Amino acid sequence: MTATSTLPAAGPVTAGTPGRPGLGGTVRWELRKLRAQRRTKAVLLGALLGPIPIALVIHAQGRPPKDTLMGRYATTNGFALALLVLGFAAQWVLPLLTAVVAGDIFAGEDQHGTWKTVLTRSASRAQLFVAKSVTAVGFAVLTLLVLSASTIASSVLVGGHQSLIGLSGQLIAPSAALKLVAASWLTTIPPTVGFACLAILLSVWSRNPAAGIATPVVIGMVMQLVGAMGGVEALRPYLLTTPYEAWHGLLAAPRFTGPLVEGLLTSGVWAAVTLAIAYALLRRRDITGG
Amino acid sequence: MRRSILTALVALLVLVGLGSVAVATGGGSTVTQARLERSLTASFAHVYSQQARLLGHQGVTPASMHAKAMCDDGADNVGPGSSWSCLMSWHDPNTPMPSTGYGHFELNVHSNDCYTAGSPSSLVGFQTITDKQGRTVNNPAYEWDACFDPSSSDQPTGVSFPSALMLTATSLAPDAQGKATVPVLCATGADGCAGSISVTAPDGTKLGSVPFDLAENETAKLTLPALPPGTKSVDLALTYQRGVGSTGTTLPVTGS
Repeated sequence: MTATSTLPAAGPVTAGTPGRPGLGGTVRWELRKLRAQRRTKAVLLGALLGPIPIALVIHAQGRPPKDTLMGRYATTNGFALALLVLGFAAQWVLPLLTAVVAGDIFAGEDQHGTWKTVLTRSASRAQLFVAKSVTAVGFAVLTLLVLSASTIASSVLVGGHQSLIGLSGQLIAPSAALKLVAASWLTTIPPTVGFACLAILLSVWSRNPAAGIATPVVIGMVMQLVGAMGGVEALRPYLLTTPYEAWHGLLAAPRFTGPLVEGLLTSGVWAAVTLAIAYALLRRRDITGG
Repeated sequence: MRRSILTALVALLVLVGLGSVAVATGGGSTVTQARLERSLTASFAHVYSQQARLLGHQGVTPASMHAKAMCDDGADNVGPGSSWSCLMSWHDPNTPMPSTGYGHFELNVHSNDCYTAGSPSSLVGFQTITDKQGRTVNNPAYEWDACFDPSSSDQPTGVSFPSALMLTATSLAPDAQGKATVPVLCATGADGCAGSISVTAPDGTKLGSVPFDLAENETAKLTLPALPPGTKSVDLALTYQRGVGSTGTTLPVTGS
């Protein structure tokens, strides 16, 4: 691997720097650890190549998946196909791709018993926490961007770029539809960041990479289920999965953005609270045991 | 392992707690009758005018249709579900409305403020239609998906359509005393159906009349006045105080 070969070369630089490295240094260091992991590359490669067979398979269906939003025209319209995949990805794919790194980034140190090493040799807990969080959230956003671009490109190539029937029944011209589909995918950034922060919390708390990766996905699915139930709709604004549906407003005429703003707020609160708890847990933790 | 089980338990407890709070404070669903009525008319106007364009029909635009809808979920008219149905009237010079003045649409509404609407095939056609070039194409108005703004106006639209009364029998079967019952159905609509059915023998003899008074979505069996033995058929004339429907029909009498 390239990462292992660069390690010795970079070694003397860190050793020669007096005092503790700044935040930039810590982040660079986390990034290097991330690059060295095979699973990081697998996730990015999956996000890049996965949408191609998915688009091909859905496009080849004889009967369109009408029971899902945008499924009605998914076999005949590339934009509808990209939005159908978006609805599907939001159910568990995005939380999973996010959690693969975010759920492991703290617990991995437990797994390898390396907490003492990283803390004594280089940086404070606060610096490490910020660096790891920035890396995990950054990776989540990068994965999302790769997945979005790949899905939209393969859907439009496979399904074609005809006018799209929007969510008020209106016809949307192809050029406008492309922009709206891209914007719809981008609206999933806030809840995905929220899920990354939730995975960070679970990673810190569980000290177990498997739990850190799987639990956010399970929580996401439970929230999805609760959000779809009738009778408990008063809960919907507080669920982290609700912002994943905020794009509906962009495809309607007239456009509505209330759910987007609300979703931004919800995701922000989730991110802030989970990060705060995670930081408190990490600070109070006794790491001397190793 | 212990920690992950704890995590799941805590998450579950929090959800159950929040759920009971939500149930206790009373739903708060954004799915309401007024929002559906506004959204349904707007989205139907769009898909129906696309259909008109495919068929080559002139003079159908969303604005010219003046679509009006009345929705009902058979209960409190709030919240998602598949029991929503809507009556809608609109103006299309190519296709006149039926005598009741509206078509009946079935809705499946989800908690995320999106719904799937199904049209009455008698007015809107089937899944595929033949376009003006003679090709078989998908009918955009047959079924469609739409979402509405959860913060859109919830003021009642004030649209109301009368219920339609239907006789659901094609013949009468009198018992030994000459008494026959006729089943009637009062469909979805405002105020239900009330009026009377007067019964006349083929020779012009008036046999009497039966009043009816039904709520919407109600069925009843009306007992007609005794028919003289040997009656082959009777004429039924319907008058309405509430509701709409056919004004008269002739039913054959069986077993006489």
